[in-house]
Amino acid sequence: MRDFTRRGDLIRLRLGEYEVSLLESLVLQLSGLLEDGSPASVDGSGDPFDRWQAELGAQPTLDSSDPVIGRLFPDAYADDPAAAAEFRRFTQSRQVMERLEQAGTVLDALAATDEGRHRLEVPLAQVNDWLRVLTALRLSLAVRLGIESPEDADSLDALGEDDPRSFVYRVYEWLAYLSEGLLTQLGR
Amino acid sequence: MSSPATPQGPAGGTATTTRAAERTEVDLGWVTLVWDDPVNLMSYVTHVFETYFGYSEARAGTLMLQVHNDGRAVVSSGTREQMETDVDAMHSYGLWATLEKS
Repeated sequence: MRDFTRRGDLIRLRLGEYEVSLLESLVLQLSGLLEDGSPASVDGSGDPFDRWQAELGAQPTLDSSDPVIGRLFPDAYADDPAAAAEFRRFTQSRQVMERLEQAGTVLDALAATDEGRHRLEVPLAQVNDWLRVLTALRLSLAVRLGIESPEDADSLDALGEDDPRSFVYRVYEWLAYLSEGLLTQLGR
Repeated sequence: MSSPATPQGPAGGTATTTRAAERTEVDLGWVTLVWDDPVNLMSYVTHVFETYFGYSEARAGTLMLQVHNDGRAVVSSGTREQMETDVDAMHSYGLWATLEKS
């Protein structure tokens, strides 16, 4: 975790230009997936009152058959599909809005690095937002990589560089490194 | 759960959304379960239990290991409404959680 430093309430990390743009594109992909289900996009307006109205009548608008959506919004009741659907109806649109806000926090911090010219700065108050976003990205990539058991991850680790999944797996591992780095800084 | 390749120190608390107060250990009928998955980092899961439930590092670590070794662990108990709140919070952290009757 040599790349991370902490002074007071600020964690700093130097990222390369490529790393900044990679992380940005991953977060934008996640936001794009979630925006399909946000009330603001449903009624095409950012007006708070419209959003509130949309929330009142909120229905889960995300496609639960998408395995990434399924993993980010799992069934709260394992053996009761009706109760699980009801739970989703009451929680999903707020969860989506919160996740979009967290993604915005990460994107703002990345933009502030000016393509990696300046160190990334994460205030302690935003670490949980970062951890949630990094986790969501790893969960998404894990679905795409088909990681369902520790053995799946081991076999991906053993792939040759020429396998296209190898690159995605390296990104997945790098996101874990970033999470570990933030967690380590919290412990000091 | 996934363990890190690099050793790390214990995750300290910077609780921002800690649940109001720890509930007393009475059976109110429902429990929140967290299930093992191969993606979430062990240090992260411990951090979430500390941050959200306000559990001590030792208790959070024990629960994390229980999830890891047994495939699942009861992380809280209370009324159905309280457990829905806890499951909602666990999902917001990317943990795989369900509630059921105890």
